[in-house]
This record gives sequence, structure tokens and C-alpha cells, in this order.
Amino acid sequence: MTEARTRNKVMSVDDAVARLEDGMTIGIGGWGSRRKPMALVRAILRSDLKDLTIVSYGGPDVGLLCAAGKVTKLVYAFVSLDSIPLEPLFRAARENAAVEVEEWDEGMFQTGLRAAAQRLPFLPMRAGLGSDVMTHNPRLRTVTSPHDDGEELVAVPALDLDVALVHMNRADEHGNAQYFGPDPYFDDLFCLAASQRFVSTEQIVDTAELTADAPVQTLLLNRMMVDGVVETRNGAHFTTCVPDYGRDEKFQKTYATAAADPASWVEFEQRFLSGDERAYQDAVAAFHAEQSGGN
Amino acid sequence: MSTETQAVSADGTAGAPVPEFTTDEMMTVAASRSLRDGTACFVGIGLPSTAANLARRTHAPELVLIYESGTLGTKPDRLPLSIGDGILADTADSVVSVPEIFNYWLQPGRVNTGFLGGAQVDKYGNINTTVIGGDYADPKVRLPGAGGAPEIAASCQEVLIVMRQSTRSFVESVDFVTSMGYGRGGDDRQRHGMTGRGPVKVITDLGMLEPDPDTRELTLTHLGPDIEVEQVREATGWPLQVAEELSVLQPPTDHELSVLRELKATIGGTS
Repeated sequence: MTEARTRNKVMSVDDAVARLEDGMTIGIGGWGSRRKPMALVRAILRSDLKDLTIVSYGGPDVGLLCAAGKVTKLVYAFVSLDSIPLEPLFRAARENAAVEVEEWDEGMFQTGLRAAAQRLPFLPMRAGLGSDVMTHNPRLRTVTSPHDDGEELVAVPALDLDVALVHMNRADEHGNAQYFGPDPYFDDLFCLAASQRFVSTEQIVDTAELTADAPVQTLLLNRMMVDGVVETRNGAHFTTCVPDYGRDEKFQKTYATAAADPASWVEFEQRFLSGDERAYQDAVAAFHAEQSGGN
Repeated sequence: MSTETQAVSADGTAGAPVPEFTTDEMMTVAASRSLRDGTACFVGIGLPSTAANLARRTHAPELVLIYESGTLGTKPDRLPLSIGDGILADTADSVVSVPEIFNYWLQPGRVNTGFLGGAQVDKYGNINTTVIGGDYADPKVRLPGAGGAPEIAASCQEVLIVMRQSTRSFVESVDFVTSMGYGRGGDDRQRHGMTGRGPVKVITDLGMLEPDPDTRELTLTHLGPDIEVEQVREATGWPLQVAEELSVLQPPTDHELSVLRELKATIGGTS
């Protein structure tokens, strides 16, 4: 672990992405279309990065990165938009064999993150036995209990990450960060499994303010788990970041419809993804103004 | 607090007024100075907690204090009375469950420094907190047991041992290895697959011992102010090696002493 951690870790989305390198294994927090660090994902889309291995409880992060040709390998248990079961860009990449895939069971996936977080080579579990998930993945091996039961278990290998990207409701400049929603997902495990950790947040506040109206248990991440803090308002858009905002279902539907058709996708990319984060947020605002009956 | 209140002056000479301090205060200050700013320290109640909070108030404001009860980065404004003291959670960066402390912080080597002490330590820094004398099944003295010490000894990046020195506690070979130091010396620790470096300093009321780089035998490297080598030899249960360049611990500064005494006063102590 590094020592003499810098006190102020605030940086821009592009500063954070500039720390990433081609070929890295990048874990992305959140779950499906929920509290995804989308501003950081969009910054990767704008970058020259390539050959990434993405490890994710997949949502639009996975679809967008695959469609942009950033991904060589994908490690996941599912990829979904929640209210829209299939992520169309992921589906296209998977059906065109555009990326190498490693498909896990969700419990295994968590166990692999836990093993990495505990710096163990593997952890045993039962999930996956008898499933073809095991058949198609030579990394998933079994181990026999040395105790009297002699049971055969899955030896889930550690999901070691070079980088973790997560999005939280609030953070301070040191990297203490908290969530206000109903579920922490696995963001703490992603950070503990990674060598470099970047947190985007709706708002950076003073340390004391974090717990002024919220219990200390909402602080999922502490400063020892974080290397960079990025303030990105609406930075999880269009995924949920409750209670700050829910999922932008209207936008997600437009995204999914466009993604299912190559010609519409070019148009969508042109309109929303050709500029920086501010341009994206402006285009989203214009989209809603249009939808609500303006011109 | 201390019963060993033999006061010594900083330079041992008459002249300019110098702060007087006890050997226990010197031991606490030496432990405090061994904690580097910005690192994470696993803290137990008693001297380690006092030393860590002293460090945070003096040279190491960014020191991250981790107590076994699950408080990470706690910043108490007084000494906690136990690891369950509410002030630890109230002033923490975050609070996690005890299993998380062991699984995600201690075992993976995320803690830079762990403090240990015990009833016995031997010349290779192995610690006994289990049984003394007689047979394992029928010991003369039954001690509290392992607690979390073996894991602290194995997995913290480095360990500081803090103990008062006497022939009863500093023995040639411990009766039971509760927490491994350097085993039988040399690279025994690596052979056991330990990820942490092991005990880098043994801080006592008489000075400081450090492991020889090759044999790993604990060697006297620093004397406490006004302590003689012979005193330390007499308080050690094996033929003590003494470093060629023997140093003397810098006495506590006025600032260290006043902060230490203020801290002790927060739990009703006087020294």
C-alpha cells in the first residue's frame, strides 16, 4: 500500500482517465443501470485508451465501451438495463463475437471480488457446480475440502483489478465517500480489489458535512481506499443515483432504441457523445426540453 | 498511571531546567515517534492507543487510527476507555463490521503498523500470551490467549512490540509461540509464508531493540536517557547483543510531554 497519501485528491474526469493505460483491467461499480460512474465511462469513450478488460455488474457502461471498441475482454455475470432487460450494444458485441468474454455467476463474481479484496488467491463456494459456466471457463476450477466432509467446491479465483471506477452521492476531498440510496452494491469491494481507485460524486463537501445529517455507516469508502475524487453533477446519468435522481427512463429508452439500429446509433453518438461532459449534459437538457413539448 | 515513576532528567546533569519524565512516558513517546505520518496503525487500548493519539497530535496529523471494533480513521478528542467507546465511531472516517476489519484490512496487509505486547518475548521477537510453565494441558500460568495477535503479527506490514523489560518477560525462548516474530531466526518468517515484515522494533522502558539484519536476533540499538547497558543486560534473559553504534533515545520534548499528560488526564490519569 502507498504511504504518505496526499491530502487533497480532487481531480477532473479527464485527469482520472489520464491515469489509465491500454490493456488495464478496470472494474466498474454500480449494478446494471444503477449508480454507474457514467461521466468517467464517457471520458474513457473520448480517450485513446484501448484493449481494456472490463469487470462489471454490467449496464450501459459495458454496452458503450464495447460499442466504442475499447474492450478486448469482458468479465461479467450479467449485462442489463434493468427496466430494459437486454443491453443492445452489449448484445451486438456478444453476438458478433467482438469481445472475448468470461461469464460468471453473480455470487461467484462477488466471491472473486472478495478474494481480491482479501488478497487471497481464491475463495471456495458452491455456486457454479454443474453449470456450463464452469465448462467454458478454464479459470474456474474446483477444490476438495481437506476436512472430513471431503466436499468438492468451486475455487473462485480472485478478480484482481488495476483500477476501480465508482460513483457515490457525496465525497470529501480526501476520498471519504458515501451513498444515500438503498443499496451499496459492491463498490467497496471494487475499490478494495483494485490498485488505483477513482470515485466520481454528485458533490464534494467538507468532511464534517458528510455525517452532519447521515449516520457514519453511509460512508462506504474511506480515504485509504481512494486515489482520486471527481465532482461530476448528474455524473451517473442516465442510470439511477437515488435520492439525488432516479433513472432517466425516457433517455434510456431513446438510447436503447438508437442502439438497436446502426444508423440511429450514429445519430445518437453525434448528438450526445461527440463532445465533453458539459456538452453531454447540455444535450441531455435540450433533449428533455424537446420532450416536454418545447420546440 | 505508572508505578515505575523513577524520574530522570533529560541530560542527567544539573543546570538548565529540563522536563522530568518517567521511563513509561519515554516508552510511550518512543512508540509514538515510530509511527509515520500518513500511514495506518492498528491500535489497541492502553499504551498503543495513547502513543497513536500522541502521534496524531504531534508529528503525524494524517495518521490513520484503526481500532478492532471497526472504526477506520478515527480522530477522538480524548483517549477512548475501551474499543467499544462511542467516541471512536463518532469521529471515524467510516465504520465497518469486525469481520471486515479482519477480512479486508488486517489480513490483506492494508495496515502499516501493528502494536503487540505480551507476557513473554524471546530473542527472535516471538510473543507468548497463552501459557507459562509446566505442560500445555496443565500450565503454571494460563494467560488470556491469542486474541487477534497472531494475525497482527503475520499480516501488518510491520510490528512494534512495546513491553517493560525484565528477565521474566524477556526470555531466551518463549514457552508457547502465540504470535510469530522471526521464529528461529534468519529467513524462518518467509519460510512460513508471512506477508508482513515482522517486529521492526521492541520498545521498552530501558531502550530499544531491533532485529539483526541477518540473524534476526533482537539487538540493543538505543538506550533510554540515563540508562546503562548493564541495566539492560541484567533485565534480559539471554546474552544480549549490543549494536556497535549504540544511540540514546531523544528525551521527550516539552511539547510531547505536555500533550501526553493532557491526553492521560482525559481518562483520569496523572502521568
